[in-house]
Amino acid sequence: MALNKKIAYIDLSTGKIETKPIPLEVRKRFLGGRGLDAYLLYNHTDKGVDPLSPKNTLLVSAGILGATLASATARTHIMAKSPLTNLLGSSNMGGFFAPELRWAGFDHLVIKGKAEKPVYLWIHNGEIEIRDASNLWGKTTTETQWAIREELNDDDVKCAVIGPAGENLVTFASVMTGIKDSAGRSGMGCIFGSKNLKAIAARGTMDIKIAYPEDALEYNRRFITQIVSSKVNQTQGTLGTPFIWGATNSWGGIRTRNFQYNQCEYADDIEPERIDEICTETMGPYHMAGCFGCQVHCRAQYKIPSGPYAGKYDEGPEYTSQGAFGGEPDCKSAVTVLTGNHLVDQYGVDNLEIGSIISWAMELYEEGILTSKDTDGLDLKFGNDEALLEMIRRICFRDGWLANTLADGGIQASEKIGKNSFGYLIHVKGMSNLHSDERATPALALGIATGSRGSDHLRSRPAIDLYHLPEEVLRKVYSNPVAYDGPLSSEHTSYVGKAWQVFWQELCYMGVDCLGICKYHTTFLGATLPNFEDWSKVLYYNTGLEMSPRDIWDVADRCYNIERLFNMREGLTRDDPKKGDTLNHRYFDEPCRRGAPDVIGAKIDRKKFKKMIDEYYEHHGWDENGVPTAETLKRLGLDKEPSHLV
Amino acid sequence: MAVEREGLSGAETLAKTRTYGKFRCHNPSCMGRFQPEPGAKRVKCPACGMEFRVHWIRPDFPRIRGPVWDVNRKIAQEALAALEAKKSAAKAAPKEEK
Repeated sequence: MALNKKIAYIDLSTGKIETKPIPLEVRKRFLGGRGLDAYLLYNHTDKGVDPLSPKNTLLVSAGILGATLASATARTHIMAKSPLTNLLGSSNMGGFFAPELRWAGFDHLVIKGKAEKPVYLWIHNGEIEIRDASNLWGKTTTETQWAIREELNDDDVKCAVIGPAGENLVTFASVMTGIKDSAGRSGMGCIFGSKNLKAIAARGTMDIKIAYPEDALEYNRRFITQIVSSKVNQTQGTLGTPFIWGATNSWGGIRTRNFQYNQCEYADDIEPERIDEICTETMGPYHMAGCFGCQVHCRAQYKIPSGPYAGKYDEGPEYTSQGAFGGEPDCKSAVTVLTGNHLVDQYGVDNLEIGSIISWAMELYEEGILTSKDTDGLDLKFGNDEALLEMIRRICFRDGWLANTLADGGIQASEKIGKNSFGYLIHVKGMSNLHSDERATPALALGIATGSRGSDHLRSRPAIDLYHLPEEVLRKVYSNPVAYDGPLSSEHTSYVGKAWQVFWQELCYMGVDCLGICKYHTTFLGATLPNFEDWSKVLYYNTGLEMSPRDIWDVADRCYNIERLFNMREGLTRDDPKKGDTLNHRYFDEPCRRGAPDVIGAKIDRKKFKKMIDEYYEHHGWDENGVPTAETLKRLGLDKEPSHLV
Repeated sequence: MAVEREGLSGAETLAKTRTYGKFRCHNPSCMGRFQPEPGAKRVKCPACGMEFRVHWIRPDFPRIRGPVWDVNRKIAQEALAALEAKKSAAKAAPKEEK
């Protein structure tokens, strides 16, 4: 059945591999994917462990619905203590790896230790082998995947790999699958590298028995109708995620020149429509592709049209690359965005983090905090496309003092650079912010400030807050499956009711992350997309697991609290500028200077922000310091953690 | 578990309120919903005056591509100047009271 996939415990130091079933009771408490990974991390990692030591535990998993008859269940989740933040590390990627892992017999991999030399895991039909990867070390992410397929003589092998950035222990290195699918945030590729783990390859033909196949197909038909009829997904299927950057830049919600402006003016060449033109010119009219089991097809395919990398094939760019290599460094060339996107895919590094950190360095350079001596002569000013692309390469290979410093992440770099450089770092908990500018949108500001893995738009962002939806629509969304009769506001510049929206979205996103479903299939960008009540049915028809929408909500709540417990154990405190639920002072002190008239002058109000945090903690059942109360832990059955159930 | 076979989910109910052919103004406090002429390349919000470039996903499905930059910049500069003036006035006011 769909629930009989196993956990494998792999010790790379000793070579010992043990597999175990996942008890039903554990499934009901944590489902799978990110939720069960959080439980495993908390239970299998000691307090204060050095992220790069063999004792850090690396989790790789599929969601509980992976490869079933439910739509878009492609997500692979990866978790460990983060080398970037020294807190929770967690990232998630699409593609085809997770379904293959399930077909090969496994849902969760618990990887400990460190191999003596580079290795990769070969997982196939219930078997796991540790194989030599010495010949793969140094290869790019794409080269690695093809070399493994060649070695195993099977083109259908799916791989999760690292590139040079992971090998060089860049603290924000990503794990990649396919051309562009990336578990980018929080440095999970660096953890692979620290364990000498170059890749995990999976291939399976083991069946996944669906509990009620006819019902599952029938319900999925309704699910698909909801997905493909939404305007947001129809737009994504044409322009990909870049449309989000375009729409946000239109009103003035895009970080530009690190954090100096909130709109990238006259950026026509990097707008989604222009990128779409290039995709059409280089790949033809049918250039949109999708992940496993997805109908949205938001993945653009392109070849770089000109420049030193002309003709190179890649996929994307996601809106994050437009921000990272467009707005933030103020480089307004599509070729630069497409080239930057290609480099990070091949080197295996988080586009969002590297773009942000280079833009931060550009501001430091223009402020005189960094000099040309620090940059080895590179003119690291805003708008210098060549310097941007060169810095991407240097950081991934730790080439030069500045690149080596930046590769350690913003907080550590600021300690080395000194001179108030930390004041310019746009981060939360040591992880750089997305390219969006949240000064005019308190709900979004709260979301990034409280994200469990650091600054984050994919852990709690109530993006539908930007649509000015009538209160009755908001109430319909946000009062289910748990009744909420507190205030809600259609105004996204308001602070009213936003704490509840962020809290609700947190549990919504945790829910899909446990199931393994893509966030574009839930209440992220569209109010009309499926959530808890739909998941309850999809889960039942596919797995036979009977859980009400409220039960799934409670699982999400439990899993989110486990993440919180992990972070508290690792030193998170409410107002700590390096590890707390807070924002860079510029959000409060520097008003927006571009964009729509009502965005001009916007900044976050400290008092109201503090009140939002208080409300947010209250919704979670945490005390005024953000610590889960004993009552909350008891309600969620977490009062005896670590409990070592698996 | 009793699984409902009939009836719409909350998300499906909300889907019935969708509108095609219109979009919302990107000015946050305006957000007026309006409909561009078929094939129009530029459009002005009748409520707040902001001007946008239009992209057509399909002949019946427009989206805002971005602002008309010159107009956008002019409006932004005016708003910024008004804000600065307000700030200066506020700074000056307590002194006068003394």
